[in-house]
Amino acid sequence: MKKSLVTLGVLAVAALALSGCTDSGADPASTATSTGDAGDAGELTKVRVAALPIAETGALWAAIDEGIFEEHGLEIEVVPSQGGANAIPALLSGDIQFAIGQPFGPIRADQQDLGVVIVGNYANSLPDETDVNAVVALGDSGIMRPADLAGKKVSVNTIGAAGDLTIRKAVQDDGGDPSTIEFVEVAFPDVPAQLEAGTMDAAWAPDPFRAMIVGDGGVSVVQPYQATIPGLSVLTNITTQTLMDEDPDLVTAYSEAMAEALDWAAGNEDAVRAAIATNLDIPEEAAAGITLPTFTWDLAGAGIEDLGALAVEFAYIEAEPDYDRLLQQQ
Amino acid sequence: MATVDAPLIVAAPPPPRSVRRSRTLRKFALGVAGILGFLLTWQLLPTLGIVDPRYFPAATTTLAELGQQMRDLEFWRNVGRTMTAWGIGLVIATVLAVVLGTVIGLVPFLRRATHTTVEFLRPIPSVALIPLAILLFGLRIESALVIIVYASFWQVFIQVLYGVADVDTVARDTARSFGLSRGSRIVNLVFPTALPYLMTGLRLAAAVALILAITAEMFIGNPGLGREIVFAQSAGDWPAVYALVIVTGVLGLIINLVFRAIERRSLAWHQSVRGEEVL
Repeated sequence: MKKSLVTLGVLAVAALALSGCTDSGADPASTATSTGDAGDAGELTKVRVAALPIAETGALWAAIDEGIFEEHGLEIEVVPSQGGANAIPALLSGDIQFAIGQPFGPIRADQQDLGVVIVGNYANSLPDETDVNAVVALGDSGIMRPADLAGKKVSVNTIGAAGDLTIRKAVQDDGGDPSTIEFVEVAFPDVPAQLEAGTMDAAWAPDPFRAMIVGDGGVSVVQPYQATIPGLSVLTNITTQTLMDEDPDLVTAYSEAMAEALDWAAGNEDAVRAAIATNLDIPEEAAAGITLPTFTWDLAGAGIEDLGALAVEFAYIEAEPDYDRLLQQQ
Repeated sequence: MATVDAPLIVAAPPPPRSVRRSRTLRKFALGVAGILGFLLTWQLLPTLGIVDPRYFPAATTTLAELGQQMRDLEFWRNVGRTMTAWGIGLVIATVLAVVLGTVIGLVPFLRRATHTTVEFLRPIPSVALIPLAILLFGLRIESALVIIVYASFWQVFIQVLYGVADVDTVARDTARSFGLSRGSRIVNLVFPTALPYLMTGLRLAAAVALILAITAEMFIGNPGLGREIVFAQSAGDWPAVYALVIVTGVLGLIINLVFRAIERRSLAWHQSVRGEEVL
C-alpha cells in the first residue's frame, strides 16, 4: 500500500517532469472569436449571457463555436451562473444582458414588478416518449406511480419552482394527496448517491443522472412536465425591460442570432452533444445518451401561461403574472 | 562553597543537540505516520466497499486525478485566480480595518458611538450578502471581493480596536509626563501594543478570506478553484471534486504556515510568541 503510494508519487513527479503540460483552458474555437483584433471582421458587440453548466447549454456552446452569433455581429461571453437565482440579480445590475433560465424565475420576478422579460424560448420538454427529466426511485422502494409519492420525501434541485409544482399536480391527478409530500433540495449530480444513502425516497432528475438510476434497476415514476403541461418550456431567454428600452438594436440582434442558433442546434444534435462533452468534461458516451430537449425560439406552445395558472392553483404565487409584460416574443 | 560574584540565577543548559534532533525527528515521523494512516484509511473505505467507490473515490484514484490536474496549465491559472481574489480582498480589508480601527479605537467617543452598530453588523454571515453583492456588481470578481472583504474586515478591525485600547496606563502616563507628541505616542506606544493583536487578526483574516474566496467562486461563479469544484460536481466527476478540495485544504495550510511565520518574525520581542504544532 505504502509502496504503491510512493510509486504513485514518483510516477506523478516523473510525469510532471517528463511530459509537456496540457492546457484545458486553451480555446480550440478561439480562431473564430479572436480574429476581431485585425478589424476586418468589423466591430463585434460583446454580450454577457448567463447560462447554467448543464447539458441543455450545449446548444449555445455549439452555436457559438459554429460562428452563428458572430455573423450577427455579436461576441457572446457565457457566464456560468450557479442556479437561476443568481441570474436575475445579475441582470438587474446590468452586469449581464441576457440569461438562459427556467421560466419560473421570471414568473416570480414579475410578481415583484422587477421589469424582467422573457424575449424568447430556448428549450422545451418533450410532449411524448422519454422526457428530459423524471421522478425516479430505487427499484425496491415500492414507489411505482405518482400517487405513491404522497407522504414520501422527494428531492428537487430548487424548491418552489416548476419541479415540485408539476410533481404536486401529477400526484393530485393520480389520486394522491400532494400536501403530504415532503420536498427536499438535492442538487442533480448528488441524486444517485443521496438516493442510495436513503436521504429521500424519490428524486427529480434529468439525464445523465436519471439514466444512471434507471440503468441500475431504478424506477421512472413519473415525468412531471409531460404529465401536467406536455412540452413545457425548460429554459427561456430572459432580459430586462430596461435593456429593451435602452438598446433595442442589441435585443433585436441577439434575438435573431439566438433564433437561428436554436434552429441550427435542433438540426445538429451531434455538434450539440460534442459541445456538451467538451464543455462539461464528461465522456462522449455519456453525452451521447442524454435526452435532448426541443431547441426553439418560439414561445407558442411553451406552456408558460399554464405554468402560471398552476402556480396560482397551488398558491406558489398570489396572482397570475401580467403576461403582456412578461412574455414579449421578439 | 559559593563565591559572591556567582550569578544568583543559573540558566538551565539547553538540552544536548542529539536529544533535540531526535525530538524533531520523532515529531516529523509522527506527522508522516499520521498522514499515511489517514491515506490508508481513505484507501480502505471504498476498497472494502464500506462506502460506494463511485461517490467516494479511493485515495490513489484521487491523487492520480490531482496529478492530472497539476499538469494542466488551466489548473494553475485557477489557483492564481483564487489567490488573486484572496490577496486583493485581504489587503483591502486589512487597510480599511487598520485605519478605521485605529481612529475609532483611539477616540473613546467614537468607540461608544459605533459599538452597537459594530456588534450588530459583525455576526452577519458574509455569504448572506451574496445576493446583494450580485445586485451591486453582477457575476464578477467585485462581487466576490465584497464578501471576502466583509468577512475579513471584522477579524482585523476588532483586534485593532482592542489592541489600541490596551495601552498600559503606567506607560501612557509616563509618555505624557515626558511630553511625547501625539504622533510619537502612536509610534512608540500604541503601535507596539496593538501589533500582536493586529497579527492575530491578520492570521485569522487570511484564513477567512480564503474560505470566502472559494465560497464566492462556488456561488457567484467568478473563475477559480471554487467554480471548478462546482463544474466537476455538475459533471459528476467525483475524483476531480475531491482532488480540488485537497488543493484548497493545502492552500489553507500554506497560508496558515506563512502567516504564523510572519507573526513570529514580527513579534520575536513579544512574550506571547511560542511554538505551536502545525502538522
